[in-house]
Amino acid sequence: MRAAIRTNGLTKRYNGKAGEPALADLSLEVPEGEVFGLLGHNGAGKTTTVSILTTLLDPTAGSAEVQGADVGKSSAKVRRSIGYLPENVEFYDSLSLEENLVFFARLSGLSRPRERIREVLSFLDFEGHEKERLSTFSKGMRQRVGIAQAILHKPSVLFLDEPTSGLDPAGVKLLRDIIVRLNSELGMTIFMNTHLLAEVTKTCTSIGVLRAGRLIYHDSLERTLRSFPAQDSLEEIYLHIEASGA
Amino acid sequence: MNSPTLVFCRKELRDAFRNRLVLLLIAGMSLVVVLSVVVAAAGFHAKVVDYQSYVKAMQSAGQAENVTAPQLFPLQLLRGAIEYLEIVGSIVAIIIGYSLTAKEKNRGTLRLLFSRPVGGASMAAGKLLSVAVIWFAVIVVLGAIMLASVSLVGGITPSSAEVIKLVIALAFSWMYLMMWTAFSYWLAGRARRLSTALVVGLIVWLVVVLVIPQIGDTMDPDNQVPGGLFKSLQVDKPQEQAVMAHFSGYETTRNDLENTSISKHYERASFAYLGIKDKYNQQSLGLIWRDMWANVTWLIGGLAAALGLAVAYGKKRHLLRKA
Repeated sequence: MRAAIRTNGLTKRYNGKAGEPALADLSLEVPEGEVFGLLGHNGAGKTTTVSILTTLLDPTAGSAEVQGADVGKSSAKVRRSIGYLPENVEFYDSLSLEENLVFFARLSGLSRPRERIREVLSFLDFEGHEKERLSTFSKGMRQRVGIAQAILHKPSVLFLDEPTSGLDPAGVKLLRDIIVRLNSELGMTIFMNTHLLAEVTKTCTSIGVLRAGRLIYHDSLERTLRSFPAQDSLEEIYLHIEASGA
Repeated sequence: MNSPTLVFCRKELRDAFRNRLVLLLIAGMSLVVVLSVVVAAAGFHAKVVDYQSYVKAMQSAGQAENVTAPQLFPLQLLRGAIEYLEIVGSIVAIIIGYSLTAKEKNRGTLRLLFSRPVGGASMAAGKLLSVAVIWFAVIVVLGAIMLASVSLVGGITPSSAEVIKLVIALAFSWMYLMMWTAFSYWLAGRARRLSTALVVGLIVWLVVVLVIPQIGDTMDPDNQVPGGLFKSLQVDKPQEQAVMAHFSGYETTRNDLENTSISKHYERASFAYLGIKDKYNQQSLGLIWRDMWANVTWLIGGLAAALGLAVAYGKKRHLLRKA
């Protein structure tokens, strides 16, 4: 299967910071149609990885491609093919849901966005709130706004950075269901940063584990669960991988 | 038209009209500007009434032919308005320019915006275009209120030549406010920490708008005693010039110091066209331009530099740097 995301020796060292790089020699392939969960403790390099893949950050060394386009040389092409929901983004409270989405749709190049917005809100079961300002929205509703803006332009790859952060259990379940449907119904490849393992078990088809900027594990979820029979849950598997480094 | 610049512009205009802080700041600035014109116009009207009653009294005493009319010029009533735009307007512009970047950094939306196929230059251009529209609307409304105040409260209708001079002074005001907005936008994007940008912006404002012009004004012999040093000593203009010829080094120093402040260039050009500086009162546009082109050039240069910096440093690699 064709790789939706491919990195080769990807390394990032922040300016003026000596010592270990934030990301070291990351080589990874995520095939089209996968839901890939990148796991790791805080500071492991997950957000740095997503930042490079979404063209927000230039790598110090190595290369990365999304849908065959180099993130450095063809950043505009990459941006047109991806959707992105950063962690803890707040959007524009003074604007209504529709005004926020029209803004992002137009930035993505949609000339007549309203029909597409209706489709997306219908898909997310989020109709009826178009005229409401975001200042009245709960955290869970805001995350749905985030997903909506990320998929308006029909991207083939979706990057989600800690998408369930700060959500209540009902919000987590709702978002998890949306992620599964985005993959199964719309065929989107999803690259998700998280440290909540329950959502990984229920949504991801493959996982990778980063520790101190290095990829120490990468395999399908199914094989992972089979390969560690001594561990009862993904949480235990993750802690085992983290501790052993492989 | 859906160019990213216009998309940002439309969003910012909508956002500004719903932003209480922006509305409050602009309303406050406009209020002090309008009040200064209304108060000056009312004072002007009182002088006219005094003169008319004096004429009436003299006429009843049979001495009307001896009464000379006071020299009253409507554009001189705008001195306070220009000073308020210079001082209050610039700080409002700094806050607005700062907030254009700060709100994106605080909300975390910059990462989202730069993940779309748009560049930082388009974002800067769109945001600054929206403020250019807002400042234009504010200046047009203030200009209309100034004319109405002078006519209705002051009781005098400015001539077409005076209206042209007012329009030129208002154009300088627009450039001046835009320059501070763009400068502050650049600063907020350039600094790693937003608080640093705001503090630096306020320090620059303090030095450029208040400290340097104040030192220059204090050094001016006209400001050393109320009414002017030479007037209080009953020294006429030719004598004053003869005396000052012996202090050319002092005058050059004072002038050079004032020239380091863009606010002073704005003030000098505006005061000249409005006839607030006596030397230029009732003079032709050509004569005023001959003396003021350098000040106007500084103002245009300042605006161009600030806009250039704002667009050049509005790029992803500057705005997304970690604090």
